[in-house]
Amino acid sequence: MESLLAVRFAWLIPLLPLAGAAAAGFFGARWLKGRSHWPVWLTVGASAVISLAMLAQMAGRVHHYEYPQAAEQPAGQALQPRASGEILSAAMRNGVQQTWFTWISAGGLHVGAGAWLDPLTAVMLCVVTVVGLLITIYARGYMAGDRGYFRFFAYLGLFIFMMSMLVMGDSFLMLYLGWEGVGLCSYLLIGHYYQKPSARDAAMKAFVVNRIGDAGFALGIMLIYVVFGTVNYYAAPDGGPGALLQAFTTAPRDTFEYHARQWIPFLLMLGAFGKSAQFPLYVWLPDAMEGPTPVSALIHAATMVTAGVYMIVRCGPLFAGVPAAMWTVAIVGTFTAVLAAVIALRQFDLKRVFAYSTISQLGFMFAAAGALAPVAAVFHLVTHAFFKALLFLSSGVVMHAMHGHLDMRRMSGLKRVLPWTNILMLTGCLALAGFPLFSGFFSKDQILSWAFHRSAWLGIVLLLTALLTAYYTFRLYFRVFQGPLVQPPPEEGAAHDAHGHSDGGHAETPVMIAPLVVLALGALLAGYVNWPEWEGRKLSLGAFLGASPSLILSFEMANAVSGNVSPAAFGLEEIADPAIRNRMSVLHMSMAAAGVMAAFLGIYAAYLLHRKYRQRGEAFPQMFPRINRAVENRFWVDEVYQFAAVAPLRRLARVCVAIDRLVIDAIITAAGWLPQVCGLALKVACQRGSLQGYATLMIIAAALVLIIMLW
Amino acid sequence: MNPFGDLALQRYLAVGAILFVVGIIGFLTRRNLIIVFLSTELMFQGVVVNLVAFGRYHHNLGGQALAMFLLAVAAAEAAVALGLVVLLYRRRGSIDAEAWRELKG
Repeated sequence: MESLLAVRFAWLIPLLPLAGAAAAGFFGARWLKGRSHWPVWLTVGASAVISLAMLAQMAGRVHHYEYPQAAEQPAGQALQPRASGEILSAAMRNGVQQTWFTWISAGGLHVGAGAWLDPLTAVMLCVVTVVGLLITIYARGYMAGDRGYFRFFAYLGLFIFMMSMLVMGDSFLMLYLGWEGVGLCSYLLIGHYYQKPSARDAAMKAFVVNRIGDAGFALGIMLIYVVFGTVNYYAAPDGGPGALLQAFTTAPRDTFEYHARQWIPFLLMLGAFGKSAQFPLYVWLPDAMEGPTPVSALIHAATMVTAGVYMIVRCGPLFAGVPAAMWTVAIVGTFTAVLAAVIALRQFDLKRVFAYSTISQLGFMFAAAGALAPVAAVFHLVTHAFFKALLFLSSGVVMHAMHGHLDMRRMSGLKRVLPWTNILMLTGCLALAGFPLFSGFFSKDQILSWAFHRSAWLGIVLLLTALLTAYYTFRLYFRVFQGPLVQPPPEEGAAHDAHGHSDGGHAETPVMIAPLVVLALGALLAGYVNWPEWEGRKLSLGAFLGASPSLILSFEMANAVSGNVSPAAFGLEEIADPAIRNRMSVLHMSMAAAGVMAAFLGIYAAYLLHRKYRQRGEAFPQMFPRINRAVENRFWVDEVYQFAAVAPLRRLARVCVAIDRLVIDAIITAAGWLPQVCGLALKVACQRGSLQGYATLMIIAAALVLIIMLW
Repeated sequence: MNPFGDLALQRYLAVGAILFVVGIIGFLTRRNLIIVFLSTELMFQGVVVNLVAFGRYHHNLGGQALAMFLLAVAAAEAAVALGLVVLLYRRRGSIDAEAWRELKG
């Protein structure tokens, strides 16, 4: 693996976008101006090529993991399953450790800046760079004429640098670097229209809410260092095993280490909940839609918000060892999925619907990761990246055509004005709704069946959420694109983006539509990369991911701790026992059927309420005024936070400011005055202009020095 | 036996110290700039006596050589200082040290 060409040049993947960002940022204002997209396009494109090459080269060369059949191994034994050395060496064959340079060397802490390249990294890098490239191309059309054009592209390049560092870092510190870096870019890009107070507030909110999660994340990393003595995933710089490998050794019960290990996943989880917008820290994501639409698509739908899912899958060995942590992830994910889907039912802002939809789909991924099905989680991450980016960018086209309007109550029948966008949006909606043979169908059904396998309740709630998803998606589609043509008058709008196009037809420029077509193809076809029949041939996404040490070790760990874990959920070969095989395939088929039913039902309900009988569809929610009010106000979660957290903190902050001004500042000022006062006193006492006075002082001082020296 | 023994050295040092202290007292108590200046010369000579005495005591001509240097430097300095005193007198019509108090700033 080390010798692969793309692997040897992997260091270029983050570096190139950084260089592009620097070029756009430093030379954009003066020289590049409207051409600032070129450095970012070229460098991100090159990174995408390297990433794809790495994926292709790795795909044929991974060693698939052979594990003893379940019959030989009685499940549910204590930790320390079988010859763990054998497992570790088998797992490690599929990863490449690259160390670029020593980053930190302080006391016992040695961290190298480097990369850990394995199938999981390759898949994530492809998602980040390919979707990133398509969105930067689109942004050229979307942001044209914007005042901060070069700034926008510089931040976009910086984001892709940070995101690729996040997914390819070889240690928790690199992960943290990327983690905070993408948070910074998110902040900067949400606040791109910084003249607007709402954009500034949204940026600040995203940053502050993420801090809460990141505090837990940082504590988790510190605890990892305390417990394992290293922050590297697999290979510590001193040659020893990294944290994820050491998680495989047993800690004696009732020691500090034992308890710390129970806490680590919970702390890391907090960071994931913040970054991936899960309950209770999801409130920043809907507001983040204040940023330009390409940002919403790239950062707040396709890549950055999936960092939490990546982290949980990457740290699987740490999480799988603590069943309570896995259950927490699954339950929080499921709850977030259903909560956000319910809220999305009664939103009228196009981008907000998709924002809640993103939260809901991320909930699906968390549920899958928590239900010990990391392959399904990453698979959904990949398909979601395509179709949700497609949906966001399509709504960006709509927004352009509607002069910045996003309220779906004020538009209707746009398929006549935006024929291309109509088809593209329909593709995205079908994929999101889980319509058969679209990408979302495959990934969502995998999540449903693995969740059901883990616990029937998880499966049922997620199935219900899938139904709601289909409904709200097509509510939006039918309202905006079908029915009689209604367009808001042009002169009212043009406030949202400060740059407008004259009419709808002009919004569909080739530079914006072309990347959307590619994304739509992805939304159509991405589901087939994990076609189950390919599993025999080891070329499916699942089998490829299953070669990643993280997944192999998670499987072994989960198997040792809880037993009865299906290897197929980790991308490993299914158990040969025909009875088990049969049961699994029945489960899969029935969940697929149920998922299809849910999708059809949701789409049909949306058709009835928002296409055929639109008037009655309006009246329907009014029949339940209290529920409707609660949903429309998003269950007052923001208000509760405002009352319970923000307002008290503000008051505390005011007290702190008062103390700072009155006490701390006073002390500092007094300390500053002291030398001045002394000097003044000396001046008045001694500097009187009398020659003899000076001489006397001098002699006294000299005498004093002499006395002190000779004593 | 050394004709210039410890006792002789002490006597010379005493003379030097007396000269120096007389110079200091003169410097501190007189306000006439010329007298003040003369007092510094007295201090100089106290130092020179010390130098010569120690040079003799250690059989080292360095002390005497330094004394010659000191005399030369003192002569130059005296020329400059007296020039300054003359200039100061021209400005204020007085050679009182207190006449220039405002120079303290």
